[in-house]
Amino acid sequence: MIEVEGLRKTYGDFPAVVGSTFDVDRGEIFGIVGPNGAGKTTTLKMIAGLVDPSAGSATVAGFDASDPEMRRSLGFLPEESPLYEDMTARSYLDFFADLYDVPGEVATERIERTLDRLELDHRDRRLGDVSKGMKRKVAIARSLVNDPDVLIYDEPASGLDPLTTNYVLEFVRELRDAGKTVLFSAHNLYHVESVCDRVAIMNRGDVVARGTVPEIRETYGTTDYRVFTSVPVEGAESAGDRHVVTVEEMAAVEAVRQRAADAGGEVVDIRTREPSLEDIFLDLAADAEPDPRGGA
Amino acid sequence: MSGRRERVRSAIRAARGGLRAVARIARWEVSRSVGVVDRRTAALGLLALLLAGAVGGAATAAGGVALDRDVYRVGVDTDSPYHEVVVETPALAARPPEVDRLGRGVEVVVADDHVYVADSRKAQAALSTFRDAVRRHNLDRLREERNESAAFPVVVTLRYAERTPDGVVAGGESGDGTGTETGTGTGTEDTSGSAGDSDGTESAPSGADGSTSGSGSGADTATGAAGVDAATGSAADGPLGVPGFGGAGGLFGGSTSGSPADISPPFPFGALVLAFLFFVPMNFVIQPYGSTILNERINRRGELLLVAPVSPAAIVAGKTLPYLATLVGVTALVALAIGGSPVSVAAVAPIAALYLAATFVGGMFARSFKELTFVTVSISVFLTSYAFVPAIFTNVTPIALISPLTLVVHDLQGTGVTAAQYAFSTGPFYVGSAVLFALGVGVYREEDMFTQRSVPLKFLDALNSRLKGRKSVAVLSALAIPFVFIAELLAVAVLFVLPVEVSIPLLLVAVAAVEEVAKSVHVYAGFRGPFADRRGWKAALVLGALSGLGFFLGEKLTAVVQLVGLPDLALGRAAFSSAGIAATPAVGLLLLLAPLALHATTTSIASLGATRDRATYLAALVPAIAVHAAYNFAVVSTLG
Repeated sequence: MIEVEGLRKTYGDFPAVVGSTFDVDRGEIFGIVGPNGAGKTTTLKMIAGLVDPSAGSATVAGFDASDPEMRRSLGFLPEESPLYEDMTARSYLDFFADLYDVPGEVATERIERTLDRLELDHRDRRLGDVSKGMKRKVAIARSLVNDPDVLIYDEPASGLDPLTTNYVLEFVRELRDAGKTVLFSAHNLYHVESVCDRVAIMNRGDVVARGTVPEIRETYGTTDYRVFTSVPVEGAESAGDRHVVTVEEMAAVEAVRQRAADAGGEVVDIRTREPSLEDIFLDLAADAEPDPRGGA
Repeated sequence: MSGRRERVRSAIRAARGGLRAVARIARWEVSRSVGVVDRRTAALGLLALLLAGAVGGAATAAGGVALDRDVYRVGVDTDSPYHEVVVETPALAARPPEVDRLGRGVEVVVADDHVYVADSRKAQAALSTFRDAVRRHNLDRLREERNESAAFPVVVTLRYAERTPDGVVAGGESGDGTGTETGTGTGTEDTSGSAGDSDGTESAPSGADGSTSGSGSGADTATGAAGVDAATGSAADGPLGVPGFGGAGGLFGGSTSGSPADISPPFPFGALVLAFLFFVPMNFVIQPYGSTILNERINRRGELLLVAPVSPAAIVAGKTLPYLATLVGVTALVALAIGGSPVSVAAVAPIAALYLAATFVGGMFARSFKELTFVTVSISVFLTSYAFVPAIFTNVTPIALISPLTLVVHDLQGTGVTAAQYAFSTGPFYVGSAVLFALGVGVYREEDMFTQRSVPLKFLDALNSRLKGRKSVAVLSALAIPFVFIAELLAVAVLFVLPVEVSIPLLLVAVAAVEEVAKSVHVYAGFRGPFADRRGWKAALVLGALSGLGFFLGEKLTAVVQLVGLPDLALGRAAFSSAGIAATPAVGLLLLLAPLALHATTTSIASLGATRDRATYLAALVPAIAVHAAYNFAVVSTLG
């Protein structure tokens, strides 16, 4: 549904994105994660046709990103969604539905349904007078007025309280279940890990890893073994009435077992710990070469 | 064939879609604008306007506001014919004619066919006012006479002579064919018959002034027509038509009967004041318009419109349309109120468009509302000055036609406007508006709208947005012509009051500077944008030559100047001689090609500097301007 090939963007001498390549299937939630300045937002905007790429291409629902017709298939939610605060939620959504050539009755029905689903009250109150969470919900509703096949959400839960964040993430899952293709970026790796089918990790303008979370874990992560002993051994930390040593290889487990036996004790438990996306991300960020762009 | 048909249909569908989008955004802009001002504020504003109008109307109905009402006291008997004069003059107050109260209760006393004046400066001023009032009263009575030749037995023909470049007033009715122009209002009077000329106050008021019946003929260089209607005392139309007599009666060109003392220079005061009314709404409308443009850029608010299936041009058109329609509508109402015809509306519309275009660009470039305020005030001051100041000289010199407001003055005076005059006055405004909107739309995109770059850098970005390949350098140069034209005409208007030996050299240098900057600034921008990887001397020469070619071709459009005869003016000749307007067929070919060589050469010089940095570019502009100015001097000297 989305195909990105060698997407590159430079501002003067500064390469913001150095060549992203990935694709997103229909009905999939695809997450892009990375630190500030990694090039996530620039990548999303190039896919949405807001920013012209310096090189490479992006297609959405079969349209080139630069084709205005593509926008009819797209719902875009920027990281900040400043609204026209002198309008009401209803008039705001009506206006955008009109811009997308949505027939009046269809638009009214669709808007009401979306607002109901998002539990958005105060529909006739000026947007300047509603809470940040409500504004975000209105922005999400706006991205759906044209019933797009593809949704690009940049930090959809940015700045929201945990309750509203969970609500938004659950809503994104529902959209996926309804057949929408969702591409979204996030700082919060837990959000990505819990919602996304596949993930791309960006760092310093480049996609440094991509795949499903298990695939990435398998490729880039290392499994830890937590060896619990009944007696203190070298390198062990206290864990209640036991002691624990964390190692990364099975051979090291055997060494711990030998040390415990030498100390008159024994290994009482061994547990494995899967690396989180955050661990992998931090490892990849740490392993990366110095930023060729000269930025942070 | 079917493919072409399909393309045409597709284009029509796209155009319809674009128009629908413009209409939607325009409706939205209107509803939002209405929502910004709450009803109570709007009602209070309307009430204040109505109140101001009512006060003004009441004051006008009561004979106007007279700050000097009853300031002088005149002793005059109620049976005296002078009593009526005193009563109808606001500054005078009638008192009993008691000579012994002179200096204590009255300044002037009229009694026993004599006028008695107290020994004070105030009394002298009172006497002067009284004399003027009597003279005015007498003229009014004479004008009411059915037999005009009996009332005004003396016919005065005013003829405005042309002034040569050295300021000498030429005699005769028409120019000597050297292309000099009328201009100063210097006039000769031919009188025939005799005039009784007694001032009817001081010693023996007779009640009859020397009177004249004036008819005038003006050398009308713009239309080539001048006429005299001696029998009726009316003048044929033309920019230099009969000068009006002073006073309220001269509001629209003035009365043609009166005293020689009432002959005033052809200053269209009344028409100008009324024409200025057109500017008032513009200065109000550009404020919310600038705000709505800048609002789209604050906090990236406009990003969501950019991602909708609407082009930036449609967004801008939709947001601009309500303000343009408002201005045109208000202009039509003002025209209706002050007696203007559709010509006035058609003349003011391009001014309104340029106001909006400049404000739009300002809104796109400004980084804050503070900067926007500075921009809008600058626009108001510059455009108001540009339009208003030349219009003061409507009846004096064709230079006045650089302002569309001059057309309004002509319209209000009833002197008519030709199509060529309209094209000359409004052409730069229309094209300038289009170019400014095009530049602004060029940066109406995500990458430029939300940056916090300085105004000069935004300007360079806007130029870069229109640079698509080498040919576009030539196109941009050609499109700079309206602004060059406006700047040069403004220079002509500012400098023409100076002695010719000073003004022409200054003008030639100013013209060179304006043109060199206009030809090279986008080349400089290009080397910081799309041509950044081609900063070699070859590219500089190629782009310089292309820019010179584009400017040369665009410059030919200044031929429209000839339609209204501006080059016939010495300064006009100086300003546009370098534009390749041939003075004689013999030098025609040379003058056709020489400007092309000049523009290509000088722009290449500036472009070489532009390949490096700003300081080098500015330094390179100096020799480019010097070469251009030297060329201008040579051409003017050759043409004499």
